[in-house]
Amino acid sequence: MATGDHSQTSGATPPIIACQALTKDFSRGRQTAPILADVNLAVDPGGFVTILGQSGGGKSTLLKLLGGFIPPTSGQVLFHGLPLPGITPKIGMVFQENTLYPWLTVEQNIGFGFKVRGKQPAQYRQQVKHFLEHVGLFSARQLYPHQLSGGMKQRVSIARSIAVQPDVLLLDEPFSALDIQLRRRLQGFLSAIWQDMATTMVLVTHNVEEAILLGQRLIVVGDRPGRIIETVDLSDPRFRDRYDARFLALQRHLEGVIEADAYMQDSRLPSHSAEMRSTIPNPAFNPSPKT
Amino acid sequence: MPRQISGQPAWQASLLAIACGLVSCAVVVGIWEMAGRDSANPVTQVLPPPSQFLPVLFESDFKVGLGSQSASIYQSVMVTLIRVSLGMAIAFVGSIACGLLISLSKWSELFILPLLGLMAPIAPIAWVPLALVVFGVSNLTAIFIVFMGVFFTLTIATVAEIKRIPAPLLMTAENLGGGSFNRWRWVIIPAVLPGVFTLLRLNFIAAWMAVLAAEMTGLRDGLGTVVMTGRNLFNSDLILLGICIIGITGFAVDRLLLLIQRKFFWWQV
Repeated sequence: MATGDHSQTSGATPPIIACQALTKDFSRGRQTAPILADVNLAVDPGGFVTILGQSGGGKSTLLKLLGGFIPPTSGQVLFHGLPLPGITPKIGMVFQENTLYPWLTVEQNIGFGFKVRGKQPAQYRQQVKHFLEHVGLFSARQLYPHQLSGGMKQRVSIARSIAVQPDVLLLDEPFSALDIQLRRRLQGFLSAIWQDMATTMVLVTHNVEEAILLGQRLIVVGDRPGRIIETVDLSDPRFRDRYDARFLALQRHLEGVIEADAYMQDSRLPSHSAEMRSTIPNPAFNPSPKT
Repeated sequence: MPRQISGQPAWQASLLAIACGLVSCAVVVGIWEMAGRDSANPVTQVLPPPSQFLPVLFESDFKVGLGSQSASIYQSVMVTLIRVSLGMAIAFVGSIACGLLISLSKWSELFILPLLGLMAPIAPIAWVPLALVVFGVSNLTAIFIVFMGVFFTLTIATVAEIKRIPAPLLMTAENLGGGSFNRWRWVIIPAVLPGVFTLLRLNFIAAWMAVLAAEMTGLRDGLGTVVMTGRNLFNSDLILLGICIIGITGFAVDRLLLLIQRKFFWWQV
């Protein structure tokens, strides 16, 4: 199991977004806590990377660093091969919490990216209509956010972000507050958008099933400090079927990896982690003849 | 956006509230009338019941005052209302503009907020003598006093509301490509409007009292002057008439502000 360098991409094209030796410390008073340690990552253009890890384990911090929302303590984020200067509309972000503007209707929220750039409504009305239809919210276009369900709100957030056509879309646990049926519907919705728009997506989640189902590549981030502990290639179409044996085996393996990491953190025996992990079989890389 | 109270439609709830309010008013007036039936009672002399002071309005052809100084009740109400509304409108726009400017830098906040904190508790009535010296007996005096009564509180509130805006709302606007001016215009201003307007409504009572006090002490027209004319003429009917109109007008304005709040500033950030 390779745990060192995760920055290699699958294809020959240069990565659209990458980070090198990325470290983030948060200081509170005199104490400094490392949140992320030495993260190397590269995302292919048009790829779908899922970042899996425990809640509060630095995944969101990694995503915010990739989006330029916070500066790294050391290391750098490269976007199209150049250092990322800060927040850019080319890298869209869908936050975990509701960030819809409560005083705007669904339609106005989706068009907000154009409005805030100083465009006149006539210039973007058609595009907004297109995205309203695309996310199936045309009939709800006149409603305000407080009149929407949680799933509708997230669809509007996603539509608002993709309407301005970013090269990369970052999603921070977008479905974590939803019930399982809705979550599954929205996973299908997001997958369809990714296929239609060819936007590169990076999704952070603590849900193992979601991470396998949606990603083309999965990265497991360990806890305290956050670092990449495993990378899984999910390009095999069998990972799109949540009842496939290979899917289930990988799910069990990843749950074990996360649990082992949490156990290691709790017992504060970091030196044992590599040894402990190696005892957990990985069906994605060592497929047994049966699966 | 009218909010629905669970179980019953909004119009039913508001109808119930109006009916209950009317009933309690009627009960109070009824008791008052019963107590004031005996005209020899000294209390009735000071507190004449509505059946006694309301006819004054019709007898005097809706006019109050003596000779050339008399003004119609309608005029008095309008003068007072215009003074309060202008003062509050200027204070509302001014405090949002000032609050935004103060929030531009950490230093302006540190330097200016303490000054506002010192100015805010000054009772608006305390400005009356100063305003009379500067502006004379004019509408400006009244508007100035209303302005002073609400401006500082509202400015402090604007700064606090700006700080309260959730960071992701601002980050999203920046992420969608909004420059700083457009972020102020399309995110920060709409986000603070409802909170500041609510406070304006709560401060209306202070502004209302301030303008009445100004009218009682210095100005020659308006609702406060009606009460003062009553005092000067030893006419309790006129005093109570004035008080009643002050109460009803104040209540009507408060409802109007509530209506504006629900219609235009209904969201919560």
